Amino acid sequence: MTDLSAPSPNAPRRERGTAEIVAASLPRRRRKQRLLQAAGIAAIGTAFLVLFILIASLVSTGWQAFRQTHVTLQVYVDPAEIRAERLPRGGFDDVLTAALAELLPGVDLKDRKTRKKVEGILSNGAQFTLRDMVVADPGLIGQTVSLTVPVSDPYDQLAKGLIDRQTPEINRRLKDDEIAMFDQLVAAGVVSRPFNWGLFTNADSRFPELAGLKGALMGSFWALLTCFVIAFPLGIGAAIYLEEFAPRNRFSDFIEVNINNLAAVPSVVFGLLALAVFIGWFGLPRSAPFVGGMTLALMTMPTIIIATRAALKAVPPSIREAALGIGASRQQVVFHHVLPLAMPGILTGTIIGLAQALGETAPLLLIGMNAFITSAPASPFDSATALPTQIFIWADSPERGFVSRTSAAILVLLGFLVVMNAIAIYLRQRFERKW
Amino acid sequence: MVDMAAMGTTMKDMHQTDRNPTMTEPKISAKNVNVFYGETHAIKDVTVDIADKTVTAFIGPSGCGKSTFLRCLNRMNDTIDIARVQGTILLDGQDIYDPRIDPVQLRAQVGMVFQKPNPFPKSIYDNVAYGPRIHGMAANKAELDDIVESSLRRAALWNEVKDRLDAPGTGLSGGQQQRLCIARAIATSPEVLLMDEPCSALDPIATAQVEELIDELRANYSVVIVTHSMQQAARVSQKTAFFHLGQLVEFGDTGEIFTNPRDPRTESYITGRIG
Repeated sequence: MTDLSAPSPNAPRRERGTAEIVAASLPRRRRKQRLLQAAGIAAIGTAFLVLFILIASLVSTGWQAFRQTHVTLQVYVDPAEIRAERLPRGGFDDVLTAALAELLPGVDLKDRKTRKKVEGILSNGAQFTLRDMVVADPGLIGQTVSLTVPVSDPYDQLAKGLIDRQTPEINRRLKDDEIAMFDQLVAAGVVSRPFNWGLFTNADSRFPELAGLKGALMGSFWALLTCFVIAFPLGIGAAIYLEEFAPRNRFSDFIEVNINNLAAVPSVVFGLLALAVFIGWFGLPRSAPFVGGMTLALMTMPTIIIATRAALKAVPPSIREAALGIGASRQQVVFHHVLPLAMPGILTGTIIGLAQALGETAPLLLIGMNAFITSAPASPFDSATALPTQIFIWADSPERGFVSRTSAAILVLLGFLVVMNAIAIYLRQRFERKW
Repeated sequence: MVDMAAMGTTMKDMHQTDRNPTMTEPKISAKNVNVFYGETHAIKDVTVDIADKTVTAFIGPSGCGKSTFLRCLNRMNDTIDIARVQGTILLDGQDIYDPRIDPVQLRAQVGMVFQKPNPFPKSIYDNVAYGPRIHGMAANKAELDDIVESSLRRAALWNEVKDRLDAPGTGLSGGQQQRLCIARAIATSPEVLLMDEPCSALDPIATAQVEELIDELRANYSVVIVTHSMQQAARVSQKTAFFHLGQLVEFGDTGEIFTNPRDPRTESYITGRIG
């Protein structure tokens, strides 16, 4: 085209046409673009790989905790050991040991050492299971009942293949004769490995085979409920005022900056604050999910305020003008139009804030929600742990059985987080408005 | 009644002769209105009277302040923090910037239709019923139904939507949406209807429908329309005000302004030399 058009006198003469110049630069541009794309794919690939390794390692150690080795015994509730008038006391452990010994020919219970070993096969909780059964129905005394009870942690490990039989006896948790006893039980066909419901229906315990997440789940539930009840209305109220009603001046700028700062404060600081104010000043109980919830609310509120303000800002001004133009008051504009349109965004932000709160550990440690508590809380004011602090406790425990339970608890926590984030995404997609 | 403060007395006298004798009382009377956006002086000393049952067009190049002035008439500028309005604007002799006047009440009397159709993301019925509902204009459902139907009829939309009043208002075509917005604005029976470039987002057919509608609305309302299109001003209005750089340059009968402008700036604009 340069050939055709007469070159204007003040334009620089060009040797090459536009198309040629552009064509010359194209390979370089294309290369850069390919490089950028490759880098992006590599980044995503790395992220997924790390995630996969994390989940894989958790599942590989944690899956064992979802099954629990049980042994089924035909227990003769011996009236000589257990008498109706003495309930709930009685020799339940002796009865169980006797039932176990029936399955182990050649074992002499008279020998104290051997007896101790036989007793050690069953979980410490087995006698309480039997006790509760008999207390509920004293008519069982003198009868034979079929009872499936968990075995103690070392035998659970053995059944799951986590104890290497090749290890020299001296270094092994279970000695040769103990393994032989267990093998006898397996041969008798009384050992089973059903799904470990106890993981969800039991509270914490010193014995890994009895320890469950119920207390932590309930504790987290009460704490999150408290957090939601406090942070949601306060956060939305603050955001509505700041976004819709507050005059724009130095003071509101100051508040805005500080709310953003608050969102970035390390959570352990909120824990210290809660310890000093809620527990120290107000005298609220330690380890209570209610206090935990209030602490988490302090952290969640800035998140909710920021998300709500963003959602309110995203509502097009034309909707506000339309409502104002008809004669709606500012309060009506907000509550009839802006807030309903912003709600999906607000809920998304809230759920993400709550998911963050669910995984928060540090502030709960400071207010004592890492205590050892063997019963699930019935109210937000009872002592409890929460999921992340339970993981913390279990990770700290020396018993081998807690290793897989820690991983299992992490999987449960991750499961809840995934579900919450999925709900947030669903809400965002489902209620997203197109203008 | 047309106050041409900027002009000489002879011109004013001359203009008085072509006044419509039925328009004795102005519906809206603005005196020495100044508007500031922060430091910017957006409206400079505008004095104008707007008659009842008349279509008044505000024309002028972009940024001349015509929309800003329109938004003074129902105090929509109140929502802009940095906007400051000086001077007096009387609606039926009552100062609308009087502290005792609640803008909510004013806006129920002075309806507004915006440049871009902005129906609420609600049903067609709820869009129209919103104003009557919040102001408590209908005692029961039947009355509200009546208001919705008559508003949609007057906005020439009833026949197109009567079978789908529950459908979302945002699902209508652009022209239908704008007529829905007009129906919504007239549902509260305002006395004045302000229209800020109501056809700028519409195609020619929808524009023609809306213009026809504006002409019909004149029977009941005082209509003030801001428009970029001089042809539109010529088609729909009886009175035209020409704004330039924040000033009201010329105001008079539409025919007069377009055929015999007195100010050279007006002439330049309508002949296409500025703007």
